[in-house]
Amino acid sequence: MNAPHAAASQRFNLRLLLLVLAIGLGLNFVGVGHLLLGLRRVLSPDDLTLLLRFSGVLLLVLIPAAGIYSLVNEFAFWEGWLEGLPRAEQLFSGHHASGSSHRCYVVYLDGIHQLERDHPPRVSQFLEVLEQQLRPDMLLVRGLETYTVMPVPLAEDAGSAWFWRRLFALQEHHPNLLVQLLAAIFVQANNVIKVGISSDRRYGPILNYELALKISLRLSEAGFRPDGVSRIALVGYSGGAEMAMGVADYLRRISRAPVSIISFCGVFSGNQVVNSVAGITTIVGTRDPVAAFGRIAYPGRLPLLPLSNWNKALARGAIDRREITGMNHNGSSGPFSEAFRLAVIQQITAALDAHAAAAPAQTGC
Amino acid sequence: MEAILDSLGGWLMRTDLGLGLLLVMGVSMSLSHVFALLANRLSARQILLRLLLDALILSLAFLLSSSIDMVLLSLYASNPVHPSAFIDGIAACLLPACFYVCVAAPYIGETIGFVIWVLMHLNVVTYVHVRFALPWEQALLLCTPGYLFAVLLVGLLFRQSWRRGYSMLASELGDP
Repeated sequence: MNAPHAAASQRFNLRLLLLVLAIGLGLNFVGVGHLLLGLRRVLSPDDLTLLLRFSGVLLLVLIPAAGIYSLVNEFAFWEGWLEGLPRAEQLFSGHHASGSSHRCYVVYLDGIHQLERDHPPRVSQFLEVLEQQLRPDMLLVRGLETYTVMPVPLAEDAGSAWFWRRLFALQEHHPNLLVQLLAAIFVQANNVIKVGISSDRRYGPILNYELALKISLRLSEAGFRPDGVSRIALVGYSGGAEMAMGVADYLRRISRAPVSIISFCGVFSGNQVVNSVAGITTIVGTRDPVAAFGRIAYPGRLPLLPLSNWNKALARGAIDRREITGMNHNGSSGPFSEAFRLAVIQQITAALDAHAAAAPAQTGC
Repeated sequence: MEAILDSLGGWLMRTDLGLGLLLVMGVSMSLSHVFALLANRLSARQILLRLLLDALILSLAFLLSSSIDMVLLSLYASNPVHPSAFIDGIAACLLPACFYVCVAAPYIGETIGFVIWVLMHLNVVTYVHVRFALPWEQALLLCTPGYLFAVLLVGLLFRQSWRRGYSMLASELGDP
């Protein structure tokens, strides 16, 4: 998949998606109503109830089945059935000095819209501006596929490559817009499932550990060495914030370096271990419905559970929250739009400086 | 002894449907935690053995919980029930547990598990209420001890075996 095609696929922004979903839902209601009227003529009320129950059961089975299938890859790695990721102890062995002038490695983790290594054009422009605004001793590590464990794109994933290739082909070339949209939703659903796995207390550790290995490998290629002066900052957008929270503690252990987190428009659970993180900054838009929904979808961030990891960090004052007035989750008033791009980048660089100032001896940046 | 064995054989033949369902439930619940066994890096043979053992323990837990319901019904509600008929009826009420394998699903799994446990209890209370013409309060009171016993047994198994499996990676990672 090349950049223009990816650009075309990303044109379906959230507003369009919500509009189409709302229309689709309305049509479904009308359709279901008519279907029930038709069925009522041939089926008794008892038969109808039975049919509805069967449909409910089918839904109950299909949704978890998709989630369970997604787990298989993570466990295949954990079992050592698949090659691709190094062992943690071998990652930085034999490298004593990096020779690199960089002291702070800023790793960007994209949102659930990410389909491949190349970011969508708007995100790429955002990252280019961010790169220009960073201090010379900071290096931006981009193009990391946040939602796959294998260091290969989805379309080359062992076992499911045939499925993703067909889905991408449908998304790009099918003449029917609805089919294109459905294919895009399926791809994003895969990323949403990964966010779910990361926040799950049972499976989260495995996915987060494997992703931390993948990031470490990339950092190693970028010149990072655990030399005592280098540090890592994870910058996560939307679902990327959850992945950043999930990998932070593992990354700190593997890289033996301080790790801080900066999220913008972040959707994340409150389950992750964040007490050892060097600093957490969340940048939120005042008109961001998705990030607000995240607080409801993840009870760990609600005040009802004061002993959750997130709420304990909040009570300690370890979380720095910054608001950007009028910013939405995406689209023309999202963080990648021209209207808010600079404001978000300013907040990110300010947060990087604040995290560095909090532990100057450790960070060196 | 021969008479006892004969009656046991006859009872088993009459309750084959109920017992079969209980076993299916046990297998489903056991399968929902297969990833915990994988996290322990057990061999395929060991995993199969553990799955079977867990399934039998879980089926036994439900059988014991049903037996408690039966004894309480006989003692306090003066409703003598035939074991085979009761197990058949109760097993049908516990049918939601056949979908317990869905608890393996990430993030929504725990919610599914909670809903299944609530559904099972409601089904059993409704069954006892309808089948033995007991008031709702009494049916709830008589069915709750058996239910709590099943929850306790499954909780213990979870604590002893599955959770240890899930936390395996975190402890293994340690300080590199």
